[in-house]
Amino acid sequence: MSLLKLQNVSTFYDKIQALRSVDVTVKEGTIVTILGANGAGKTTMMNTIAGLLKPKEGSIQYLGKDVTGLRPDQLLRKGLALVPEGRGILASMTVLENLEMGAYHRNDAEVNADLEKAMDRFPILRERQSQLGGTLSGGQQQMLAIARVIMSKPKLLLLDEPSMGLAPLIVADIFKIIKEINEAGTTVLLVEQNARQALKVADYGYVLETGKVVASGNAKELLQDDTIKKAYLGH
Amino acid sequence: MLSELINPYYLQVATFILLNIILGVSIYITLGTGQLSLGHAGFMSIGAYTSAILTLNYNVPLVIGIIIAAVFTGFIGVLIGFPALRLQGVYLAIATLGFGEVIRVLFINWEGLTNGAIGIRGIPHLGREILSFSESLGFSPGMIGLKNNQFVSLAVFLVLLIISIGVIWFFIRQSNSRIGRAFASIKMDEEASEAMGINITYYKILAFGQGALLAGFAGALYAHLTAYISPSDFGYHRAVEILIFAIFGGSEVIWGPIFGAIFLSTMPEFLRVISEYRFMIYGALLVLMMAFRPQGLIDTNVVNWIKRPRLKKKEGKHGTGNKKDK
Repeated sequence: MSLLKLQNVSTFYDKIQALRSVDVTVKEGTIVTILGANGAGKTTMMNTIAGLLKPKEGSIQYLGKDVTGLRPDQLLRKGLALVPEGRGILASMTVLENLEMGAYHRNDAEVNADLEKAMDRFPILRERQSQLGGTLSGGQQQMLAIARVIMSKPKLLLLDEPSMGLAPLIVADIFKIIKEINEAGTTVLLVEQNARQALKVADYGYVLETGKVVASGNAKELLQDDTIKKAYLGH
Repeated sequence: MLSELINPYYLQVATFILLNIILGVSIYITLGTGQLSLGHAGFMSIGAYTSAILTLNYNVPLVIGIIIAAVFTGFIGVLIGFPALRLQGVYLAIATLGFGEVIRVLFINWEGLTNGAIGIRGIPHLGREILSFSESLGFSPGMIGLKNNQFVSLAVFLVLLIISIGVIWFFIRQSNSRIGRAFASIKMDEEASEAMGINITYYKILAFGQGALLAGFAGALYAHLTAYISPSDFGYHRAVEILIFAIFGGSEVIWGPIFGAIFLSTMPEFLRVISEYRFMIYGALLVLMMAFRPQGLIDTNVVNWIKRPRLKKKEGKHGTGNKKDK
């Protein structure tokens, strides 16, 4: 069953068209990755799905319902959560406060238990819980961003370039965590420039070029595809 | 004994300091969501004129007049808040500055209602209202050994003190609540806050409306403290003065603008000589603050330092680790 379905979606920044009739489907329980060069429209697509941008044409279906034009907070309540590009850590709140902000829309009794779980998964965050978010290293900030979004209990998690600006060893860690989150039952839509790593964890992939989907397929096939290899994977 | 201690002049200065504290808090609320407003003098004037006109022309009781003025200004603030949403940083500052000027010019030209540039005089005075009210209850200042003007200044000061404490208490409570967290988060990163499910439209307009309401409230109080208002009381200088409380004192924590208001309203009184050059000094202060301490004098670190648990002399001196306790 498809959890998310974009049909014919076009998004504009004033007169500049950033997405051109994009069709993307994300099946429940999978990891889907969006590949593409700078300016291909990857972030625009993520922000459109999360409700930060409104598409001019086309429709977005989530959980079988039309959610085109809903606000980000409404979508989050339905379990669609985004980690924005650049992580969006609240620099002058502590790590603990950042995690609590992730559960902003929740008022059930399990928030504290989830907080403990999140810190069990990322021991470094427990260690640094009273430190300000802005003082963490890039990798720790990315872990905090992921831990924070998990606090919102997402069904569909949108990750915008989680590997940006991180050392290769840490990137490997982050991808391992993404895989674990997926295995725990969360569907993941992942935007990446690090195409090889992304295709290794993903089930399915789309390639964007200047706002259009130019290729798509199973991640394994894309890894072997000659044109993809040339354009995005190096040799 | 008591009568020798009470100096109406000092009480009056203290009263205006309290009024400035309320104004400082009003700009702090708006700044708290990252919205820079230069329209607070305009909001102040709306409150002042509303309450003055209601009490003078329509015989509305003073307290009701002030409340209506505050709520009405808050409503105008919400209306201005919607277009303000589309503007960021300096553009918002320019737009709100324009709003303040429009209001001022409106009050100058709407002579039928506002008496134009001459201003409105004879506005019911808060202190004298309290005096005549207590006299109607059979109380006279002489009974506690005070002259009438001493009693008036003392009563006004105490009323303002209670109001200011109430306002500060309310906004401290609010900043520790869901609303406060949302404000802080929006100020730090709007897009991330949106992604975290905070309805930023709602909270930004709420902050703008609250700031306007409080400025209008302070304006109404101002009208009933001075008994005379004119459009020139609420010009560009006033807007800058309000803003500078927060810039000088700091806009991260509520104590910043409070400190700024106290310090900057006290200085001209102690140094009468510099009083005339006040705006020059404000200008220089703005430049210096932006260059050396953009967050203002009082920030989170200062508050934490003041609140730090004080170690007893013999404890806590062992070891060199700088590990923090939980």
